[in-house]
Amino acid sequence: MNSSLRCWKTVRTMKTLGIDIGSLNVKAIVLGDEGVIGTGIGPPGDDIEAGARSVLELATRQAGLNSDSLPSVATGVGAKLVSITPQQKSITTCLARGARYMFPTVRLVIDMGAESTTVIKVNERGRLADWANHDKCASGTGLFLEQMAKLMNLPLEQMAKLSLQAKGRADISNTCAVFAESEVISHVHRDPPTPMEDIAAGIYYSVVSRIISLCKRVGIEKDIVITGGMALNEGLVNIMEQELGCEVLKPEAPQTIAALGAAIIARENAEKGIKT
Amino acid sequence: MTTAEHKSDVDTLVRMYRMLARMNRSRPEARGSQTLYFNLLAEYYTRVSNAHRDGKLLAAHTVFFPTEILYAMDIVPMHTEMTTWLHALFLREQAELLAKGAELGLAPEICSPHRGVAGIFAMDAIPHPDVILWSNLICDNTAKAGELMMELSNSPGFFLDNPFQDSPGEMDYLVGELEEMVHFLEEKSGRKMDWNKLSEMIEHTDREIELYREISELRKAVPSPMSIVGYLELLSADYMFPGQPEALQYLTLLRDELKETIQEGKGAVSQERFRLMTLFVPPMYMISSLGNLFEEKGAVSVVEPMFTRWSEGKLDPDRPLESVAKKSFLIPERRSMYGPLSQQALQDITDSAEQYKIDGAIYWAFMGCRHTCATIKVMKDLLNEIDIPMLTIDCDIVDPTITSEEEVRDKLEQFFEMLEDR
Amino acid sequence: MTYSNVTDKLINLERFRIVNRSFPKTEEILDLKRQDRKVFGWLCTYVPEEIIHAAGILPVRITGYTQETELDDGSAYLYINNCSFSRSCLQMGLKGEYDYLDGLVAGSTCDGSRRLFDLWQHYLEVPFHHMLTVPRKYTERAHKLYYEQVVMLKEHLEQHLDTEITDEALLKSISVYNESRELLKKLYQLRMVDKPPISGAETMEVLNASQRMPKEQFNQYLRELLDELAVSGNEYRGRSRLMVTGSVMNNPEFIRSIEELGGLVVTDELCTSTRYWSDPVDVDNHSPLEAISRRYLNNFPCARMVPSERRFDRILQMAHDYKVDGVISQIIRYCVPYAHDIPLLTDRLEKAGIPILALDVEYGTSGSGQISTRVQAFLEMLETRKK
Repeated sequence: MNSSLRCWKTVRTMKTLGIDIGSLNVKAIVLGDEGVIGTGIGPPGDDIEAGARSVLELATRQAGLNSDSLPSVATGVGAKLVSITPQQKSITTCLARGARYMFPTVRLVIDMGAESTTVIKVNERGRLADWANHDKCASGTGLFLEQMAKLMNLPLEQMAKLSLQAKGRADISNTCAVFAESEVISHVHRDPPTPMEDIAAGIYYSVVSRIISLCKRVGIEKDIVITGGMALNEGLVNIMEQELGCEVLKPEAPQTIAALGAAIIARENAEKGIKT
Repeated sequence: MTTAEHKSDVDTLVRMYRMLARMNRSRPEARGSQTLYFNLLAEYYTRVSNAHRDGKLLAAHTVFFPTEILYAMDIVPMHTEMTTWLHALFLREQAELLAKGAELGLAPEICSPHRGVAGIFAMDAIPHPDVILWSNLICDNTAKAGELMMELSNSPGFFLDNPFQDSPGEMDYLVGELEEMVHFLEEKSGRKMDWNKLSEMIEHTDREIELYREISELRKAVPSPMSIVGYLELLSADYMFPGQPEALQYLTLLRDELKETIQEGKGAVSQERFRLMTLFVPPMYMISSLGNLFEEKGAVSVVEPMFTRWSEGKLDPDRPLESVAKKSFLIPERRSMYGPLSQQALQDITDSAEQYKIDGAIYWAFMGCRHTCATIKVMKDLLNEIDIPMLTIDCDIVDPTITSEEEVRDKLEQFFEMLEDR
Repeated sequence: MTYSNVTDKLINLERFRIVNRSFPKTEEILDLKRQDRKVFGWLCTYVPEEIIHAAGILPVRITGYTQETELDDGSAYLYINNCSFSRSCLQMGLKGEYDYLDGLVAGSTCDGSRRLFDLWQHYLEVPFHHMLTVPRKYTERAHKLYYEQVVMLKEHLEQHLDTEITDEALLKSISVYNESRELLKKLYQLRMVDKPPISGAETMEVLNASQRMPKEQFNQYLRELLDELAVSGNEYRGRSRLMVTGSVMNNPEFIRSIEELGGLVVTDELCTSTRYWSDPVDVDNHSPLEAISRRYLNNFPCARMVPSERRFDRILQMAHDYKVDGVISQIIRYCVPYAHDIPLLTDRLEKAGIPILALDVEYGTSGSGQISTRVQAFLEMLETRKK
């Protein structure tokens, strides 16, 4: 089948692919008329090209499709490193689209990834209006939480569950992740030791306050959607809602929202007749 | 290193500029005004290098200093911050200079050009200045730079105290300061002030400011005729040659080039898609790669309210010192940087945004410049009110280790995508 | 290990502590407001308080949180590269802690404080705001300019309040403020001795209160404290005699943490302490306004003034008078004027044989953690030198 006919066929059935090549994970979404019909998540591995391709295939296989025929858009830090798809969009644009698709009332997206947290302002038309991230700081990130969990000798999920039982929050006054570490250690080893659940809550509070300060740069406005791997951390989300004073909207599979947004853009491009 | 060896740093600058000028001649698309600018700077630094040989006083001075007074007394000016920036750009010794500044005990939060200036003095990397001249225009860093420079070079100095506003008493004070400075320089140089020459320079400064205004007007055209690469040249013409034939030459040539570009229906970039307001100054070492990126994306900086838009007002050659004083209130940097945060300064931002039909604004948040960064939110709020998005990029104007080019590029690309999307 | 035999708690100190604990919304201030009296905030030591006082207004100094804390709002407005002092103050303003202020007066003294003023009057509602141009020099012409600025403040105030600020009122205010200065001088003189009856931390508590309450009341309390100190029998001892210097700092905990390590802080060169009260207003041969303006410009210099040597000379004199063994400099990150002074100040102190410990801090720091470690090392070094 020649390529133009292939394109016409896919436009008619409106199935598109979005792929988010992150530093820790590659996420792929196949979007059909009714919604998401295929998902893939996997590590990029040493060969990012191959890693991305295999995740892509996971998603398309789930959707029962042949990946070569799908209009697609790539995003994420690794998007430029692969040749899977020539169409690339910035992660912020994709997150805005993806969050809007899931929650049409969204105004603020908080994307909490492994290595960075980005906050995104979305206007009434669902367009990206502003964004901010902490470039040089690890304090609001997934890596920081992982480090802390290691210090407390707990798996992440257990730490999260534990924090829900906290009666108080250990004071971790330092804004810098490096110094916060020594404070946590002193809480664990002091006599009497600070309850683990309070330490966990204190750690989450410290992460949340970094994130909220970031949000203030673009202005906090409801509805707030959280995305990224850390959005699955119920302990963190709990503290975040307490501090924001409102509920946050939690999409299913929050790590895939950027990929979803990419797939949506691929669809928009196909509708406009832009060959992908 | 001996003074002789380091004197060659300035000679290297001269050679670099001559080389750039020569290279331009072999590039058909090169701008004549840029070539001229390179040559003018080569001549400037040649004068610096030869000052002592020519029996002239060499005066190191800080930014926004009324060097018309120096030129009128045949004293050779050496712009300290500019020399540091150029070292950073061409000699790539900025790491060494900044390290030297740190060694002296200067905190890393101090504006990097000023740490660099201290470094240059400590390393004796410039011809020995006979006098040090500094003022509090535009900030605390400039105000504090002089005494250390005096100590490092063992030279006498004069601090010019610029008042905060232009009330009559404050203008009187400033004129008095200028008079004192003239006495100081007459004493140190053994030369008398040539008041006729100074009056002439004031006339030229008036014309120079008119040219700046003309150029600003021309840039309102759609498509806009000037590339961001010309930004640093434009703002520094007055730093280096206020009221001098060089400034008139350069600005006249640039104005004519812009007129021609407009007449041909062309713009600075081949396909203008984004008209931008630039706030503050992008990292200097990035200016040409920025030019390339802007060309790629169809972006053009059409207005820089903080650096290239001069306030209204005329000077009076018959009252030279009063005019020098008045000029310090007309410079673009004055409105938003050294003075109360007035309605006028803020109105200027929204007025420029509308008059130049901008799509977005970029604020280059130079981490060493605290008083300008304090206006980021105010300006963002103003622009957002008229539905213009503003991107803020944290950076350092001379130190590339603070934010990488890649990071800057990433942010700009996201910003352009966002503008496209609207 | 304690370094004092302080057995009596100073009863009269408690009154100052009460003011400090509830500031900015102290009982006195809220009371005054209920009586329809006015309260103005001022931002730095070049603001001539007597003018405000003579107009029947209570002047209080704007300060920030008494701890290092998250400054999200302050940073959002002033940006992260303005000193944490200005951000802390603005944050308190944004949170409504100073919402009772009827006016705000500042000097064009340093970039941080002038921007604090700019943003405060732009984003917060203050019925009256005024900025004085403060020259950086001490020449006669500079004095003339500053005098004009002081007159302009007075006239602006008179216009705003629709009243006249008479010479009598000014002389009265001068006399009240001079008394404060005299009393504070007496307090400091008590610290010149080998075993002072009052610690550096306690002195800072007194100073904080001095800038937060009606001066008449303060003078009364301080007189009573001085009487108490005269018979207290308290004696503070330390391993070394120290001077604390640098950026705006008013957290007694910072000084306490040094003193707990054995460093006796016998004096301080700060705009919240000696630079605040040092010089009296001299009304002989001057009109009250002239006297006030002359005093404020000539006062113990801020690092913004030129030549810096004047500040260095006074520091050296103070170090000599208080028999200081070492100097601890605390410079807030992005406090530009003070940071620039470090190379030359270090040189002057070294030449006088006085070691200096230069600390990078944030406003409100309590001096724990790394600072403590470094102070410890500094004290050990000072002791080694003595031997």
